[in-house]
Amino acid sequence: MKDDILVQTKDLQTFFYTDEGVVRAVDGVDIKISVGETLGLVGESGCGKSVTSLSIMRLIPWPPGKIVGGEIWFKGEDILKKSEEEMRRIRGSQISMIFQEPMTSLNPVFTVGYQISEAVLVHQDVTEEEAKKRAIEMLDLVGIPDPEKRYNEYPHQMSGGMRQRVMIAMALSCNPDLLISDEATTALDVTIQAQILELMKDLKRKIGMAILLITHNLSVIAEMADNVAVMYSGKIVEYSDIKTIFKSPQHPYTYGLLSSIPLVTKKRVKGQKLPIIEGVVPNPYHLPTGCYFNPRCPYSTKICREEDPKIEEIAPGHFVKCWNYLKPGMGV
Amino acid sequence: MRNYLIRRILQMIPLLIGVALVTFLVLNLVGDPFAQYALNPRIKPEDIARMKHAWGFDLPIHLRFFKWFWSMLTGNWGVSIFSGGRPVAELVKNSLLWTLKFTVASFILAFIVAVPIGIYSAIHQYSILDYFFTGFAFFGMSMPTFWFSFILLMIFGVRLKWLPIGGVMTPGLESAPFLVRLLDQTKYFILPVVVLAFNTMGGWMRYSRSSMLEVIRQDYVRTARAKGLSERVVIYKHALRNALIPIITLLGIAIPGLISGAMITETVFGIPGMGRLTLNAMLNNDYPLAMVTLLLESYLLIFGNLFADILYAVVDPRIKYT
Repeated sequence: MKDDILVQTKDLQTFFYTDEGVVRAVDGVDIKISVGETLGLVGESGCGKSVTSLSIMRLIPWPPGKIVGGEIWFKGEDILKKSEEEMRRIRGSQISMIFQEPMTSLNPVFTVGYQISEAVLVHQDVTEEEAKKRAIEMLDLVGIPDPEKRYNEYPHQMSGGMRQRVMIAMALSCNPDLLISDEATTALDVTIQAQILELMKDLKRKIGMAILLITHNLSVIAEMADNVAVMYSGKIVEYSDIKTIFKSPQHPYTYGLLSSIPLVTKKRVKGQKLPIIEGVVPNPYHLPTGCYFNPRCPYSTKICREEDPKIEEIAPGHFVKCWNYLKPGMGV
Repeated sequence: MRNYLIRRILQMIPLLIGVALVTFLVLNLVGDPFAQYALNPRIKPEDIARMKHAWGFDLPIHLRFFKWFWSMLTGNWGVSIFSGGRPVAELVKNSLLWTLKFTVASFILAFIVAVPIGIYSAIHQYSILDYFFTGFAFFGMSMPTFWFSFILLMIFGVRLKWLPIGGVMTPGLESAPFLVRLLDQTKYFILPVVVLAFNTMGGWMRYSRSSMLEVIRQDYVRTARAKGLSERVVIYKHALRNALIPIITLLGIAIPGLISGAMITETVFGIPGMGRLTLNAMLNNDYPLAMVTLLLESYLLIFGNLFADILYAVVDPRIKYT
């Protein structure tokens, strides 16, 4: 199971060509997802998480965005070499995606049921009746009460949580091998978020699909993921299984992210502030020389400012892109 | 929906009365329309008195309003003062037929040209053709109708002699077979239809372009692509249906224009339509006729808006009238 690779990106590069210059949104990303695995992709806003996932779907809008280099292997084939028509057959049937904004991700002028059965009709050789039956089944599966009635409702008649369930139903209607969840629970309130995550976990068990879980919420990752990739300014800075990341993060950025989570169990002196990572994400038009994280890094040294480190496997399955990992004071 | 309609129509009654009142008052500001006959030696003072009585000018103004409004409602529109005493209803009917012929044609032409071009421009934003159509749209919008009409008349009527330079039909063909008349009139209507369509097209093109541009950036369009739908289905089904909603406002606004005609175009091309009828009624102080055309046109605007509101509910499920 471990070596049964479903998706693998090799040195993926997706750039955006704007009037102000070229934005290297994704610059040399290698990720690997095995069959049935959940990979968490974390990072701050604008670090390239969504662009990575849209690249896998080949849904980067051109202009201004373009996949300029690398390979994306899916089930043993490089999907960057596929025609638009072949890609269309993969989208929604083998790789599905749910988006951040459930309020705007459904088309307001079609019923939710129709939007689900449309996905079934495109990919499967079924009649409209069968597609409708399948859609109702899916609505039931994602826990929408009274699915026959709900089938004929429009998105505006549903709450955000319900709409996200509809999105999941749509994404799963053709039993995909890979589900990409791009901040799918971010816009929902915490209880609904927990329900949706539980639902995804449950469906994953039933269907056996792999999940690429994109979020900036580390507790969601802790809850769901098998492996974690941490992204910063378009590059993967740390990659490992979930336990290692949380127990002994090696990259200062990962460490900073983890220590900025408030914990109720942790004793805190009154007045003590929660540790934060100083500074902001670098301007994509003017990236710093050397390691992109060096201006914000408390452990930055001369070489960090001069040369960008390569990603290294420091322990089996644990990759870090840093000159100074394992320095004293780092790691918990 | 039915309740909404009934309520809207009931709400319209005070509006319709208000509009009638304003029209009436404004036209009465002009003064006594019969005064111009006092100096005409061929009209006897008794006749003027009779006309004044018929139009209620011997009554106080508020009673005159009710008398006039009642005769409007009952369809008793009276006779035109200026056009040799012909019934107003007949004048309006004749003009309306001519106007509808060329406004409906230009409306359809503008719509089938402008909306697809607008959508094409949106999908291929900043392409060469998009820039070309944008230039075309601004050209159409900023060109004065009378000037453009004359330029076209010069080229196609005077120089090339392909098309007649004015009027609506060749004299002597009034009782020709239908097809012959149709072909004949088509020749006369080509230029006015093009001029009028050109004028509206530019705005509509820009309107549908920006509407479509807004829609194709929406999340649900990305969802539709992520579902694996073909680009054709994504654009022409998921995006277009949403982009058409604001375009319906244009239809609502354009409806009164279909009937009120276009004063300048009709005047230049010599079409005896509603625009010319209204203009002449005003210029000649033809009180009975001016009252009818003005009232008719303002009422059509009100009904056009109602029609657009109903269309909204048909295409957009989020709008529910109760």
